[in-house]
Amino acid sequence: MIASIAWKNVWRNRTRSMTVISAMAVGVFAGVFTIAAMNSSVVQRIEEAVDIELSHVHINSRDFRSDHSINNLLPAPDSLRNRLHTFPEVEWVTGRIILNGIASTANKSVGVVINGVDVEKEKRMFRLHEKVIPGTGSYFEAKTRFNTVLVGEKLAKELNIIRYILTPEQMDAYERVRFPVSLTEKVAPLFGRRFITDKKFTAALDSLLTAKEKRKYGYPLREAAWSFREGSRMVLSFLDANEIQTSAVFRISGVFRTNNDMFEASSVFVPEMELRQLTGLPVESYHRLICRLEENGLTDTAVPAIREAFPEVEVLSWKEIQPDMAMLADMMQQIYGVFMALILAALAFGIVNTMLMAVLERTRELGMLAAIGMNRRKTFLMIMLESLYLSVTGGAIGMAISGIVIAATSRNGINLVKYSEGLEAMGFSAHLFPVIDTPFFIITSLLIMLTGILSAIYPARKALKMNPLEALRTD
Amino acid sequence: MNVIEIRNLHKIYDGSEVKVHAVKGVNLTFEEGEFAAIVGPSGSGKTTLLNLIGGLDQPTSGELLVGGTDLSTLKPSALIDFRLNNIGFVFQSYNLIPVLTAGENIEFIMALQKKARRERDARTLELLEAIGLSDRIHSRPAKLSGGQQQRVAVARALASRPKYVLADEPTANLDGKSATSLLQIMEKLNHEEKITFIFSTHDPRVVKMARRVITLEDGCVVSDETRNPEIPEK
Ligand SMILES: Nc1ncnc2c1ncn2[C@@H]1O[C@H](COP(=O)(O)OP(=O)(O)O)[C@@H](O)[C@H]1O
Ligand SMILES: [Mg+2]
Repeated sequence: MIASIAWKNVWRNRTRSMTVISAMAVGVFAGVFTIAAMNSSVVQRIEEAVDIELSHVHINSRDFRSDHSINNLLPAPDSLRNRLHTFPEVEWVTGRIILNGIASTANKSVGVVINGVDVEKEKRMFRLHEKVIPGTGSYFEAKTRFNTVLVGEKLAKELNIIRYILTPEQMDAYERVRFPVSLTEKVAPLFGRRFITDKKFTAALDSLLTAKEKRKYGYPLREAAWSFREGSRMVLSFLDANEIQTSAVFRISGVFRTNNDMFEASSVFVPEMELRQLTGLPVESYHRLICRLEENGLTDTAVPAIREAFPEVEVLSWKEIQPDMAMLADMMQQIYGVFMALILAALAFGIVNTMLMAVLERTRELGMLAAIGMNRRKTFLMIMLESLYLSVTGGAIGMAISGIVIAATSRNGINLVKYSEGLEAMGFSAHLFPVIDTPFFIITSLLIMLTGILSAIYPARKALKMNPLEALRTD
Repeated sequence: MNVIEIRNLHKIYDGSEVKVHAVKGVNLTFEEGEFAAIVGPSGSGKTTLLNLIGGLDQPTSGELLVGGTDLSTLKPSALIDFRLNNIGFVFQSYNLIPVLTAGENIEFIMALQKKARRERDARTLELLEAIGLSDRIHSRPAKLSGGQQQRVAVARALASRPKYVLADEPTANLDGKSATSLLQIMEKLNHEEKITFIFSTHDPRVVKMARRVITLEDGCVVSDETRNPEIPEK
């Protein structure tokens, strides 16, 4: 009965209650959606790190991470691999040769990590092959008598393999935007000129275009001017198995693009056999074995078991290799909680105010209820429920709207590519696919209820302080 | 047996500026089934006395026993429960919960008493019948006239089956006809349910219908007479 009276009381002042409920709904929606959008980059970042860069488990000799020398090989990789397959969590195992080296073109040299990979197996374990930029080649598919290397876009730019050259043909061929003739005329002075970084190209554009044109056409022009020099080559230098400096020419098999500039700039991939021939490393010798587990969720249980079984080598999970990534995920959960709590705290003031008004204008009624025998516990409960109904109704509407909007946007995502340079440099995608997980949903629901309960305390205490005699005075 | 015993009751309002001696040594007893009016000019202490008898206010001195219980010995929370189960109240106004229907208002007090649904429903129907508002069971107070609202308040006061019902100027806001019909209903219920009614008034038409008339003046009982009431026929 108290519950139903409280619900009816909420609707005594329809406008006032609707205002608070709407504020609550809008606030919760704004908070949840913002968090879902932020969370998108974190979730994507972690997925990409695992699927493209790391996989789940790395196994190498105990001091490999501090000593990358070529002869610091993994002991008995064959038997290790066989024993790894006896773990039910392990889905795939592959071996890599890992060399420190220098990549150079005519005018530039950059230090890189050279990964010798088993092409067929890695295609099944990683998604790097999906990240090869169309038009730049493939993941080692072309038949060629040259040695081949797969490089990241960032490195390719640094080595001047990718440049910015604007031509009228490229502007015509660009599909996403139609460039007006007036613009073509304006940028004509750039035609055919070579810019080795997008910064330099953008600077040249800046001097020709108005701010408005830059905003509208800057990004499309840059995309149109992006060009890959086909048949590009580079030289990789490294020490061979006898620790003698070796160099070889590699043809670029393809250029990959990920959300992580660091990875793009520092990792290159070469088929394992080519590297064996050049270094003289024997067949079935590896610096590292990499395992993919059946599921990411198994990482925390499988890794300690594997580590225990192989005391002679170093066994690391992706979380241990990139502790910042694992921490990021945990920390973000906390940030989301604090963010939601702050929004709800602001909304709580609205509820307190409304409930206070509701209590004060019902002085006589509350006095009458106390007089006829409604005890303090029930009065407190009634006010508490009214407040809870306000917060939960508003919160539920806000959550429902969030759910709908998240579902609607998560399919195609929200594309922020235009504003994305900062994000991508940190390894975050500029294409957001809003997502929240169940724990966050539960925590938010609890916080909404807590808001209602805490907001009720002050008004409810006011209601209890009311003296029935004062309330009933008619003169 | 005496329902209420009042011995040498005093109430002094000790305000910041003046002390008001509102009830000065009142001695009264009420028996089961009485139908008593407390009359007297405005400011004579009627409301104060009823509030004391209703356990809404504490006397400054003197004794107040209800069914043998000394109200001053009860803790505040026990006093609320005592009121719920022993006393019915009809106020001058603001008696009903505006968001509940007439029927729900009557039922509410029984819900507070944790009575079974079946009993609550039966009692509600019975009382609505008695006050002649069976057809308004689903009406909210705002849809009822002042007289009808007071009748529902009387039914609500009786619903808990209290030892006595206190009504402080229940007809003050009603026109003559409604006032008379409210009193007729109160008298009928007093008769049928054997529940003591004590009401204050300064309406002479209402006073005529009481079987006992207690007159207050300046906080003192100046007369207390029992007589044959004049109940007008319907
Ligand atoms: N809360 C109070 N504080 C101070 N004085 C009061 C209070 N309530 C009533 N009084 C005074 O007590 C006297 C009796 O009042 P009341 O019981 O209301 O009389 P009645 O109901 O007969 O008009 C009056 O002089 C009134 O001013
Ligand atoms: Mg009075």
